[in-house]
Amino acid sequence: MSNINGKVYAMNAITPMRPWKTWILRAFFFVLAHVKPLQADLVNLSFIQFARWVVIPRNRFPFLGKNQQPEELQYDYLLFFSNFNGTWNQYIDAFSAVLSKGLDLVWRWSEKFPGSVPVTPFKQYIARVQFDTDYYYTSYPQATANDVKAAHVVEDALESLGSHAASLSPEQFREAYLQFVMAVQSHLGSTGEAPTVF
Amino acid sequence: MANQSGSVYGLTLLCPIVNDDRAVPSHDLQIREFLATLPTDERSPFALAPGTHMARLVVMDDVVYVGMPACEEHLKSKYLIFETNCDADIDAYFTGLARSIPEHLDAVWSHCTGYPGVRDLPAFLSYMKACQLETTFFFAAVNDKSVTDTLKALQTQRAVADFIATHPVPRGAAEAAATQREFVEFMRIVQAAPAPRPGLRPGSGANRRAIQTGGHNE
Repeated sequence: MSNINGKVYAMNAITPMRPWKTWILRAFFFVLAHVKPLQADLVNLSFIQFARWVVIPRNRFPFLGKNQQPEELQYDYLLFFSNFNGTWNQYIDAFSAVLSKGLDLVWRWSEKFPGSVPVTPFKQYIARVQFDTDYYYTSYPQATANDVKAAHVVEDALESLGSHAASLSPEQFREAYLQFVMAVQSHLGSTGEAPTVF
Repeated sequence: MANQSGSVYGLTLLCPIVNDDRAVPSHDLQIREFLATLPTDERSPFALAPGTHMARLVVMDDVVYVGMPACEEHLKSKYLIFETNCDADIDAYFTGLARSIPEHLDAVWSHCTGYPGVRDLPAFLSYMKACQLETTFFFAAVNDKSVTDTLKALQTQRAVADFIATHPVPRGAAEAAATQREFVEFMRIVQAAPAPRPGLRPGSGANRRAIQTGGHNE
């Protein structure tokens, strides 16, 4: 079991849904995908590097033949995979506090979902439907989502100044360098080993 | 397309594991035993193959029963989940995996029903696509950068922090000219530097924390 790699936590969860309800969820996700402002809270939380929801209809589990028995299920299933920074408790707390309406719109169609507020039964539900990761890899284990965003800000600013730095007069360079430092100074936090969680 | 966000692809595979009562240990346990031996840092097979931001392999034993009044039901197979966030062009990604880490792929997927092996590349590609699930909603915090772009940016960020720490904003013309010369040279070095190896963790040997835990309540 290996849910953590560096500063990232891999969460997996599966919840049963009555098949007719999955179409409501699909409609919600369709709107969420096409109306970007609705993703603002998800973006602003800023500790999720990648996340996805996958609806598996009860009759669409991959069937490869060759002695595999076809599944006979009554429910469709909602799979959730998240790559987030921080601890499990911090993640669920933040989700419950900031994204409760959005979460409820996603999971209220799943059986026995208690709602994301209050947080105690919500955590009990997540703990019940979560299953562990056997192998977890990330290309940049020392970096959080904010580190990655900040690094790209710094690189863009550096390229912008670097593209014409040699052609500036010393006085022009001084002013351009000042603007560069002001632009990147809040994006220079160092990366490294994740803090130990107790 | 819901599988893709910008230039990042969210690939989800659900591969049925061979259900053979005579296998000892069972195939799902053999997968878990092998995965437990794989390094998760720069020596990871996914660090050797191109284009993986993050990947996970999970043996899903069964669906979850959430309690009454829901119905209790069970899967007839266990499934191997392969979830990866990779640079787009899924054919190129699968081909890169097949060419870079064929032994690892065969060691894991040979326990899955219908897996043809990587030697027959067209059959391998067909198998992987047959096991693919369509993502319903995919979110990527940064969705317009490749793995190499991000590794280089993180490296550049550290270099810029060091440069600024030793090069405050110059006051006079002579100081500005000196800083300018050093900045131009710094740019040349930064741009020429190769990207760091993916998966690289700070620290090494005894300094590296061996246990990467992460239970539900951590």
